[in-house]
Amino acid sequence: MKYDETELRVRFNEVDSWGMVWHGHYITWFEVGRMALLGKFQLLPKDFARMGYIAPVVDLKCVFKEPAHLDEEILIRTTVLKPTKAALTFRFQVQRKSDGKLLASGEETQVLLTLDGRMLYIIPQDLREKFQPLFDYLEEPDSAA
Amino acid sequence: MSDDLVLELKKLIIETLKLEEFTPEDIEDDGQLFGDGLGLDSIDALGVVVALGKNYGVVIPDSEEGERVFRSVNTLAQFGSE
Repeated sequence: MKYDETELRVRFNEVDSWGMVWHGHYITWFEVGRMALLGKFQLLPKDFARMGYIAPVVDLKCVFKEPAHLDEEILIRTTVLKPTKAALTFRFQVQRKSDGKLLASGEETQVLLTLDGRMLYIIPQDLREKFQPLFDYLEEPDSAA
Repeated sequence: MSDDLVLELKKLIIETLKLEEFTPEDIEDDGQLFGDGLGLDSIDALGVVVALGKNYGVVIPDSEEGERVFRSVNTLAQFGSE
């Protein structure tokens, strides 16, 4: 399974008084990775909305392994599991770029709703077709594997 | 609808949602599954819909239909046997 990669340098406002990245920022970094991946396939929230859907987050977790520090370059690695139900589950890895050390990993699940608030229990055909290029891309071998 | 189907559905709900503190006897046939009843929500229903599709081949497209079908185990059994 392929992970899409986005680079980021730790900014001053992201570190705490211990000089380490505050834990909540990892969630923002997941979002950076998610948007970078979805943007490649015109699957951003605005694209969903144009098709008549929204995809709110219903589950989120993060496991912290090692701290990141100011000015370090990091890699946000993002993938999506092939859906077994009408939900999208993203997986994330945050690595230090210099040595590839895993700093944090996480998972996030989004469900699919129509704009009038109906939750979808089956992924509709128009969305399946829209997702297909994304899943074709993610089936390519992972460069870091 | 058969008592066997009602019992099967109760077991399926308990297993799918990992409601380890419940037994099938704790779920009333006509009791509400959502809200004040068993306390399920639409996200729980999503998991049950997948299990229902696999086990019984039934299709529940969205929460609008789900609200009708998931009113109780009896309405679920009625839908499953249609």
